[in-house]
Amino acid sequence: MTNKTQIYKPISPEIEELAREHHQDREAALELLKDIQTRHAGLSSAAITDAARALRLPPHQLYGMATFYSMLSLEERRKVLRVCDGPVCWLKRASKPRRRAKGTATSAVSSDQLIGEWTEAMPEYTVERTSCLGLCDRAPAILVEDEQAGPVFAKDAEKVCEGWRGVPTDYSKERKGELRVMTALIGKIDPDSLAEALEHGVYDGLKKALQTQPGAVLDLVESSGLQGRGGAGFPVGRKWKFVANEKRTPRYIVCNADESEPLIFKDRVLIDTNPHQLLEGLLIAGFACGASEAWIYIRGEYEYQAQRLENAIRQAESQNLLGENILGSGFSFKIHIHRGAGAYICGEETALIESLEGKRGEPRLRPPFPPTYGFRGQPTAVNNVESFCAVPHIVRNGADWWRNLTKAAAPGTKVYMVLGHVKNPGLFEAPFGLTLRQIIDDFGGGMLPGSQFNFALCGGAAGTIVNESLLDTPIDFASAQKGISLGAGSFLVCDQNVSPVAFLRELLHFFAAESCGKCTPCRVGTWRALEILNRMAEGKGMKDDTEELATLADLLHDSSFCGLGQAVPIPMRSALAHFGAEFVKAEVS
Amino acid sequence: MVNITIDGQCIETEAGKTILQVAKENGIQIPTLCYHKDLSPTGNCRMCVVEVKGGRFLQAACVTQVWEGMEISTVSERVMKDRKLTLEFMLANHPLDCLTCDVGGECELQDLAYDYRVEVPSWGAKGTRYPVDSDPNPFVRVDFNKCILCRRCVQACAEIQVRDVWGVAKRGFEEQIVAGAGTTMLEARCESCGQCVAYCPTGALSNKMNYGTARAHQVKKVTTTCSYCGVGCQFDLLVKNDKVIGVSSNPDAPVNGMALCVKGRYGYDYIHHHDRLLKPRVRRYLLEGVKKERTGSPWDWVETEWDTALDIVAKKFKETRDATGADTLGFLTSAKCLNEENYLMNKLARQVIGTNNIDHCARL
Repeated sequence: MTNKTQIYKPISPEIEELAREHHQDREAALELLKDIQTRHAGLSSAAITDAARALRLPPHQLYGMATFYSMLSLEERRKVLRVCDGPVCWLKRASKPRRRAKGTATSAVSSDQLIGEWTEAMPEYTVERTSCLGLCDRAPAILVEDEQAGPVFAKDAEKVCEGWRGVPTDYSKERKGELRVMTALIGKIDPDSLAEALEHGVYDGLKKALQTQPGAVLDLVESSGLQGRGGAGFPVGRKWKFVANEKRTPRYIVCNADESEPLIFKDRVLIDTNPHQLLEGLLIAGFACGASEAWIYIRGEYEYQAQRLENAIRQAESQNLLGENILGSGFSFKIHIHRGAGAYICGEETALIESLEGKRGEPRLRPPFPPTYGFRGQPTAVNNVESFCAVPHIVRNGADWWRNLTKAAAPGTKVYMVLGHVKNPGLFEAPFGLTLRQIIDDFGGGMLPGSQFNFALCGGAAGTIVNESLLDTPIDFASAQKGISLGAGSFLVCDQNVSPVAFLRELLHFFAAESCGKCTPCRVGTWRALEILNRMAEGKGMKDDTEELATLADLLHDSSFCGLGQAVPIPMRSALAHFGAEFVKAEVS
Repeated sequence: MVNITIDGQCIETEAGKTILQVAKENGIQIPTLCYHKDLSPTGNCRMCVVEVKGGRFLQAACVTQVWEGMEISTVSERVMKDRKLTLEFMLANHPLDCLTCDVGGECELQDLAYDYRVEVPSWGAKGTRYPVDSDPNPFVRVDFNKCILCRRCVQACAEIQVRDVWGVAKRGFEEQIVAGAGTTMLEARCESCGQCVAYCPTGALSNKMNYGTARAHQVKKVTTTCSYCGVGCQFDLLVKNDKVIGVSSNPDAPVNGMALCVKGRYGYDYIHHHDRLLKPRVRRYLLEGVKKERTGSPWDWVETEWDTALDIVAKKFKETRDATGADTLGFLTSAKCLNEENYLMNKLARQVIGTNNIDHCARL
């Protein structure tokens, strides 16, 4: 820290050159920072300032980004090993010591222990904790540089160094009772082959759509009753109509593939098994909304999947399924891949747009909503991967087909995930309206031997924690009213050895790490709730802790700026409602 | 026009206004911290939350527009409880040094804590996180322990001064305000206008030059016009014991509002400086009418009266004009003068002296 007079220094030629590679595009700020980090192993203040000057941005904006996204670092690092610190991996790692410690899951490893363990095992790496990696079906998971690995424990370090990356989960075999639509081609096609995809009818929906009018496609999607699969269940057709009805152009399509919520990994599997299905969905959305460009915002930890999509885009372009005048229809469309850099909040649609524009991923004020004021201030349709993946099937087979697929109140199918202490954890596709009991027994193969159902986290990290009283309540987007949420469709089942107090601590650990810090209630509230839960989980709870948690939940719900803070109370309140006694017990050591 | 109710009071107002605007127009108080009328509203601090009938969440009054039939409560139990807790959250990470804090008495956080009778919680960081007076610049005293992350400084720098020095770094509980890429303010191209200080609602950013000299209630505010240039900015001189100890923005200033430049805000130390000239001075030889000598006592400066000094200047002008012609004289006027004064200078040059050799420093 000096106060010396500023002397003009030219921008480092290396950084200037890198900025030129990105056409000095301000929206490429994140990419530029990543490039610099790759070359220098870290981001120095001088490099950030130079990068900002090269892009003609204030240095604080890039510094704000460099310290916001968890995959960027100011410190120089060696090769980076990111160890997943999410609740599913926590549960997996706890399982062995848990059984030894006779009935307490609080003996689970902490983040610091985890980092220590791995640093010792792989000393040539800089080890960092990371929030959920989206590899819950491969828990406990790690990220070796860009490479996803799991399940791996620190004892497997030697094999990891040799290039072993664990065992990917195979979903080619259908579970009994499944109804596969979006996952129908898993194992039937090589995901990296466009020819095989075409053989199995991928892009038929697009061809059919191109023969009709955009308005007809909009009507079709609306009448199908397709609801957004990101968790909120907003009607997709209605959202698209908002966008299409905006007079201003250009309009944009954005695909939310920032799947960063603990327990959720469906989008990764959908991309990994059939990337062209997603591209087709985006194309149809673009055609319907009158857009000619789309962005897939994919979380930085999904580098494999981003590359797979890039490859798929190249293939589609080579066959004129993307690009100018697609299949002679006069419709032109481009799809871009934008990689995030580690921030759960970027799954919130306005934060995602901010991030896409090369800023810190902080949520915007709503209204205006993205369909009127979105990416670059233009009308934008933001939907989840799974929503886009459902669209081609609806276009190909009709709205009635989609509505009549099942007898459930909500039309169509849903990709579910079941995790935790069940025999066959993983992903499956089925109708809406399943009960938790069906999910555990029929699809999850029942509880593990020796495990009894204690509670389940339903929906995702921001979902409800339920006890056995809700085992038989049918679950869909409306069931949250009854206390059991569908969210993005994940269910983490915990047995009698998992303490709800320790488990809720893990969730708050996640939320506190991922709060963007914009508003006071979420910034301080998540931190405070974690502090209380830390001591409760350690058996050092204090009087009135439970009551304070309930008060914090009220404030977070009522006063937070965005959906992140507003959703934190969902697991808090439901845990307190069902397991209040356990929390009170944890108050006094 | 739309019809709304605030706390049972029926109000007809224009659509497009925010709840906060309508409340203010109708004499209803809603507390704010991150909101400032000069800056675009952000809804960050959540102090201004109100309850809108039928809404699942509370709404921030500063950013929520009114709609037909809206029923608002600004004092419901839920609202008061949340505001109080939000204040507690701020105070949990704020040092408890109001007794010695420079901005005590004009601190918005302190006022709200008083209004809402907030007790400082026993937990939190209590202002031990960052070094005090952490930036070496000569004007702005930085103490981020007192920062409540309202971001007014960031906006003032970006929207008023358009200098973009301040930004936000890190996230969650670790979030902090930062200059440039984690540098000093001057390295981040700060031009020391002090706008950030003027807009800071707490003592996080205060003035270094008069730090520790007086608090708001100990000074008399004297509104004046800046003498540095012809823009005509107004501000308040802070006067204590008949001495000017500082400058503060006057929000009602017609020309500049809260904005000032480094000279206006921090260039006041000449007022009581011992080097300051209070009377005109002339060389002794001119005063005594003796022969010009560039050494010794005749070359000394001597204090005199305005009339004498001006007479000497007038005499010299006349002599020069008569001896060598009017065009051997030239006049340069100053941006520190008023328009009227510059006009008179023009008359003096062209009509009295008879030359067109006149220019102005602002053209150079």
